[in-house]
This record gives sequence, C-alpha cells and structure tokens, in this order.
Amino acid sequence: MEFNNLQEIIVEENDAPYLNQVEKLLNEQGLKRDKDIEYTIAIENGEEIIATGSFGGNVLKCIAVNPEYRGMGILNMVISNLISEEYRRGNTHLFIYTKPSNQKYFKDLGFYKIAEVPGHIVLFENRADGIKKYIDGLKKNNKQGKKIGSVVVNCNPFTLGHKYLIEKASKESDVLHVFVVSEDRSLFPFKTRYALVKEGTKHLNNVTLHESGDYIISNATFPTYFIKDLSEAVKIHTLLDIEIFAKYIAPALGINKRFIGEEPICKITRIYNDTMKEMLPRRGIEVEEIPRLVVDGQVVSASIVRQLIREGNFQELRKLVPETTYNFIISREAEDIIKKSTLYFNIAQN
Amino acid sequence: MEIKTAATAGTLESSDALISVEPNSKNGIEIELNSSVKKQYGKQIKKVIIETLNSLGVKNVTVHVDDKGALDCVIRARLQTAIIRAAKAKFNWEEDDAKCIN
Repeated sequence: MEFNNLQEIIVEENDAPYLNQVEKLLNEQGLKRDKDIEYTIAIENGEEIIATGSFGGNVLKCIAVNPEYRGMGILNMVISNLISEEYRRGNTHLFIYTKPSNQKYFKDLGFYKIAEVPGHIVLFENRADGIKKYIDGLKKNNKQGKKIGSVVVNCNPFTLGHKYLIEKASKESDVLHVFVVSEDRSLFPFKTRYALVKEGTKHLNNVTLHESGDYIISNATFPTYFIKDLSEAVKIHTLLDIEIFAKYIAPALGINKRFIGEEPICKITRIYNDTMKEMLPRRGIEVEEIPRLVVDGQVVSASIVRQLIREGNFQELRKLVPETTYNFIISREAEDIIKKSTLYFNIAQN
Repeated sequence: MEIKTAATAGTLESSDALISVEPNSKNGIEIELNSSVKKQYGKQIKKVIIETLNSLGVKNVTVHVDDKGALDCVIRARLQTAIIRAAKAKFNWEEDDAKCIN
C-alpha cells in the first residue's frame, strides 16, 4: 500500500531542521539519538516526519514510528531501507538491540533472537544460524582440561599489562582461551591488535587465540539511546554480554573460569567487572580479578601508551610494552596509524 | 554466473520478498528461508529458487529469503535481480529473461 505523500529522506548530519524533527520524534517515544550514527533515514508525509531509523556500523538503531501512523507497514519501509543501505556498504550481517516489548516486530522482519536480559534488552541478528556458525567455529578449537580459563581483551595496543594478565591466567589454567575484540573501533586496527597479541603470547603453549566476532559486545557498539541512566546502561550491557558468554561461548569450549584485570581508573569498566564478579559464578563460571601490573609506580594502561604515542614519547612508552609491540610502533606500517591518532579522539579502551 | 559480492533485492512489504545473496565459502547452494507461509509453501519456494539459480548457472551461493507471501514470479524476479547485482553481470531483461522462464 502506498500513501499519497510518503517520501524517504536521507538525513545528513549537518541538516539541522530535519535532525531536529528526528530528535523530537525519538524523544516522544522515550528514545534519544545514539552516539555513533552513520546513516539516518526519515519518512516524510507532506511536511511532517512520521518515522525514522538509523544505523552505526552493522547495528540498526534509533527506530521510531509516529503512533498515528502505526499498522501501515511503515516500520517495514524504514527497516527495508536501512537493510538496503547496509548491503550497499557491504554489511550483510546486521544487529538490532531493542526493548523486549518490541520483540514481535523484529521477529516479523527477518531478525532472529540471540539473547535477552529480561525486562531490559534483546539482541537480534538477521541470520538464523549466525551465532550457531560462530559457536561451531569456536568448537573446532575445543581443548581438553580441568581448568579451562578465558580472557577477553581489546589490546589497543598489546602492553606489558596485557602480557602480565594473560601469563598469570595461563599459569593458573590447563587451557586458556583468549578472545581479542574484533571490532575496528580502536586506534589500532583489529588485524594489528590480533597480530601483536599473537606475537606477545606465543611463548605460552596452553593459550588459544580467538577473534571475538560480533558476539562479544564492546562499549562502542552497545547502544544506550533507550536506557535512561548511563550507569544502568553499563550494567545492562554487562548482563547481556554475560548472557551470551554463559549461554553460548563458555559451553562451546567448556570454559569454567574468566580472568579480568582490576580496573583502578575507569568507572565504566569497574561497574562491568563488579557485575561479572556477581553474576558469572551463578552460571557456573568462576571469576578471578587480577591486580594490574605497575611499572615505575604507575599502572600500565593502553590508554597511557596511546597518549605517549600521540606525544611522540617513545622512550617512556618503551617501558610499558613488550619488544614486539614497540618494534611495530616504530615501524613504517605504524606511521599512518599514528598520524590518525593525532587527528581523532579515542574512546578509552584497553 | 559467479557470485562476487553480497547483494539484495526486494522489500519486506506484504506480498513481496526481501532476498539477499552472498558468496558461499563452502561449495553449493545454501538457502535460508524465513516465511509466514513456510509450512504451506516452503517446498515450492525452495523449488523456484533452485530452478532460477540453475537457469542462471549459479552453483555456489548462500541465499537468504524473507518472504511476506510473494508469488513465484515475484520470488523469481527478486532472486534474479539480487543474483545479477551480486555477479555484477550485464543482463538483457528482454532476451535473457525469456530464456530463464521454462
């Protein structure tokens, strides 16, 4: 059914009049415009915007339809448009986070549920066998042992602190599975981060490296636009991560312990850690928090290393990273990456 | 035809189908069907898909179908379009399409 005046409009980030209307529509639904949006579409009826949708990376978000226009397939229009544009950009594996009360809409639009935090959030993907294929891939690396540990790291870049954490975890486990966060939202691209972790841990023979894939969610992608309180958002994010880890990842590899680095500085990570310590044991996964490595009286942190890179202080940063990482940082290949680092602002990640 | 990239055609509107195709790392044809009438017409839809793929000479592909009650001709048209986009091929709709319909 086509209505007389419905037009699809791409809303540019510098298009204030349209953006205001989009924000107003979202606010009326108790939503706000999320950070990290690459594309926004709006459906206009004459002069009024009656529906909107956006995405950032492969996550669809900020979707709303004016209540007066419901039941007309307009959500379909918005989602179809977003999917088309994502495909055009080469993103075929798409995700949506939504409130549990909206589940039924997305089931009808070709999305399949991955995990739910009851009363708070549901994560969908547009593949029936997405998570299953990922788990089957993990299972190929299943190793026998009694104490099977796990660590999830971003390593932007791989520092002595990461090395210390992984070495400790490796000593206390028969088998250690290390997951490197796949998302390319860090200063150092995933390929580089993964390679540096690999180099830096090859002396440990019970360590298996994995890509985190799309199913371990970083702070950057987790949308907060429909959650009122920011610290509540962190808690919900953690609960969702725990749900996916405990439901799919841990059983696939027989993981019974997770090692995390103590977080003295970042409040968000601290809330994440505390929630893990509280919730994972209830799912049969022990949690051990390992104190951070200290060099010259300071906690070794990747964000400090990145700061030193920006300042060009290679002497100082050499004390904080293994030789393999240092050699990369001073290489030709790293030059471009470093140029970029002085151009844009990073969300602090280690 | 060889599938070089991912491509999509169609919409989620009632009576239409949203069809996405992408290269298949393993060999062969993989079909993932999501349909409101899967139980009644699932087999028929898959039959149309395989026939259309055969007539276009496609041997390795993963096809995702979100069907909203589309007729065979719509499934065929959307699938052809997605395949041609994915193969980045030239296609003369008047001549070549006639050869596809048996």
